[in-house]
Amino acid sequence: MEDSERRGERAKHLFLSHLQARVGSSLVARLGNLSPGAIFETPYADLVGKVGKDQKLERLFDGLQRRFDLALVEAQMKERGISAITLADEAYPGMLRNVPDPPPALYLDGAIPEEPCVALVGSRKASATGIEMAGKLGRALAELGVCVVSGLALGVDAAAHQGAVDAAGRTVGVLGCGIDVVYPRSNRALFDSVRRHGALVSEYFLGEAPLSWRFPARNRIIAGLVTTVVVVEAPEHSGALITARHGLEAGRDVWAVPGPPGVRECRGSNGLLADGGGVLWDIPEFLEAVAPRGGAGPELPAPSVPADLPDDEAAALCGVGLEPRGVDAVARRSGMVMSELLPALALLELKGFVHRDAVGAYVRRAVP
Amino acid sequence: MSVCRARSLSLFGIDALPVEVEVDVSPGLPGFSIVGLPDAAVQEARERVRVAISNSGYKFPMKRVIVNLAPANLRKEGPAFDLPIALGILAASGALAPAGLERAAVVGELSLDGGVRGIKGALSMAEGARKEGLSRLVLPCRDAPEAAVIGGVEVFGMRTLKEAVEFLGNGLRRAPTEPAPQNETDDSAADDFADVAGQRYAKRALEVAAAGAHNVVMSGPPGSGKTMLARRMPGILPPLTMEERIEVTKVHSASGEGNGSLITHRPFRSPHHTVSTSGLAGGGSNPRPGEVSLAHNGVLFLDELPEFGRTTLEALRQPLEDGHVTISRVAATLCYPARITLLCSMNPCPCGHAGDKRKACRCTAGQIERYQARISGPLLDRMDIFVDVPRLSRQELRDEPSAEASAVVRDRVRKARATQISRQGSPNSMLSGRKLRKMCVLAGDAETLFSRAVETLGLSGRGHDRVLRVARTVADLAGERGIGADHLAEALNYRRSHLLGR
Repeated sequence: MEDSERRGERAKHLFLSHLQARVGSSLVARLGNLSPGAIFETPYADLVGKVGKDQKLERLFDGLQRRFDLALVEAQMKERGISAITLADEAYPGMLRNVPDPPPALYLDGAIPEEPCVALVGSRKASATGIEMAGKLGRALAELGVCVVSGLALGVDAAAHQGAVDAAGRTVGVLGCGIDVVYPRSNRALFDSVRRHGALVSEYFLGEAPLSWRFPARNRIIAGLVTTVVVVEAPEHSGALITARHGLEAGRDVWAVPGPPGVRECRGSNGLLADGGGVLWDIPEFLEAVAPRGGAGPELPAPSVPADLPDDEAAALCGVGLEPRGVDAVARRSGMVMSELLPALALLELKGFVHRDAVGAYVRRAVP
Repeated sequence: MSVCRARSLSLFGIDALPVEVEVDVSPGLPGFSIVGLPDAAVQEARERVRVAISNSGYKFPMKRVIVNLAPANLRKEGPAFDLPIALGILAASGALAPAGLERAAVVGELSLDGGVRGIKGALSMAEGARKEGLSRLVLPCRDAPEAAVIGGVEVFGMRTLKEAVEFLGNGLRRAPTEPAPQNETDDSAADDFADVAGQRYAKRALEVAAAGAHNVVMSGPPGSGKTMLARRMPGILPPLTMEERIEVTKVHSASGEGNGSLITHRPFRSPHHTVSTSGLAGGGSNPRPGEVSLAHNGVLFLDELPEFGRTTLEALRQPLEDGHVTISRVAATLCYPARITLLCSMNPCPCGHAGDKRKACRCTAGQIERYQARISGPLLDRMDIFVDVPRLSRQELRDEPSAEASAVVRDRVRKARATQISRQGSPNSMLSGRKLRKMCVLAGDAETLFSRAVETLGLSGRGHDRVLRVARTVADLAGERGIGADHLAEALNYRRSHLLGR
């Protein structure tokens, strides 16, 4: 009895979610706080008084109302191995429930972690420094057990996700399209990594296309899921600033990484600082504020060394840290001679324990 | 009868070809002409010879003098025919017994006071004389010790025209010049690896490169010590064999850079990046060896590689492939040897600071790509070792344990190179194709590791060969016959970074 009631509620929310995916999320507001149930049941003709006459809306409404089939939607989700949580479910993230205009339903591939979440967002065309900063922050947050939430776009978003994945932490990607649509395509590998290390989340049903108005809308979900929004690098009129504004409206902490004055790519993030955002000038200080650890040193603890490694590889691995280091620095820290260190490093790289970056520096990797 | 013959030699590339100087003095209006395809410098010999003969106390014949340089189809260059022409004229006019000229080949430039000046390519001349079966060579005093090194030819150095006339006329009563003493180079004063703090990775890479004659690219921010390391490369190279010394000296002597003795250390050339194509590869209307030939059997160091002109660098492809440069002109085709170890340095990006911990790089990905695309793929394919040279902080420099001296490194390099020469007759960098497969047999666990590396790192066919060649050298440095997993693993470190594409 209770089950079927819950099913009915879920159906109404899923219907509303399908409707919003077509007409935008302001619909509920225009209907004047009508409950999802009421929207589901009232024919459009009776709602006209509240939203005004709109032929497109009318067609959509009628079509959806007549053809909406809960069983079909559930079968499709089951086939793709994804789940949905609606406002009617208790599992709906509490943080998100309390923001203005929460999405009626979220489609999930993976699970939203219990841990505290922090959003790292920024420009798609960030500078090398910005990308590097996003990666560092992603790694550092993941090391502390904080889940990194971002938008799986190019640039800062991708670097932040990758940082969290590299540190074997948790990360959630919020999409502006159906979660079976990979956009941008060059992020395909990253989509898979994020799925394995956390979840892909979207308010849009399977197969919905990445339309341009859907990205600003999904930013309210990013802001809703987290306690803190960090803007790494953003020009004026950037989507990252929309996320920050949603964050402020929802009462989240907003931080920004300071950039050089007068540089166009940093005007948006610097503007946030001028408006009183948190200044992220020092990573340890930021981490302390976001996730207090109680007196640990500024250096992050290195992951432990697996016991089954041969001696020289274990010694070499001790010399490689979470910050990229040149071969000479590794040699100094591990105390090994070069002719022994070089083979050990290559073997560690092949085994996937370390990663050699573009300038030949080595960094620890989460064991695959 | 008044035709007299003197034998001489003409430099052609770095080889000397025989030239016969025929002089005819006959009655008629006084005059002096030279025929036989002479260039401007040879034509001017008329004035020098005329004045030098009178200033030496002889009489220039007041007759018709015709000089023919045979074979007539070979272009003759340079002032080295002055001395044979003068001697021929003196013989034809009776101041010197013509039989005296039969005894020796003669080369040398004259000055107006009758003195004999130095020439280019003395060593090649002596070698050419030996090849022609001439047992004696008369040449300027300055160049005699260099020429004597070749052996098999008696070499006599002359200071003045008069001295030469008396020597040839009086039946050669004089001992031949001794070869220049080959003082083994004293490297204690030279740049030493021990002076470079840190950079053990780069030093190890240079050691491997020196042992196998591999080409190297060093990449790092400005001020990281790339140039300093490169300058110390000659100090760890294996010593030249006698044959190689002669080759090196011939090239330097032919370009006029010889100093009258045999060159005993491997050359190190570092042309500036504004060098022209013919400056680098050799050429010009009077062809002379370029930097790549002057670095023969040694190191050619190209600092700031992407700053060199693209066409200039492309000219390096033939010498890197074949070990020589061919210069074709309408008149002739010349060939200079150019077997070099190429050592290059470059910044990782236009601003130079990509990956530098102490200064942020603000280059965009596009800028970096364009910067690195300036070096063509085919050229990069000839490079075996890629090494990153990071900039060290003062703290890191202070903590560094004291470094090995060049002499210690050179000992290991010398042994490894000797192994290679006795095994395959060439340095490992020359291995390719079937010879490479035969010489680079992988032990069992190394084979497993290699197939895994090829898969994981996505090595191309060329990359595959490069790793094998370098692994062979690492094994030789360790004194092992087979290539073990450790050697292969070390070689994997020297592959190209992703920044440069795969």
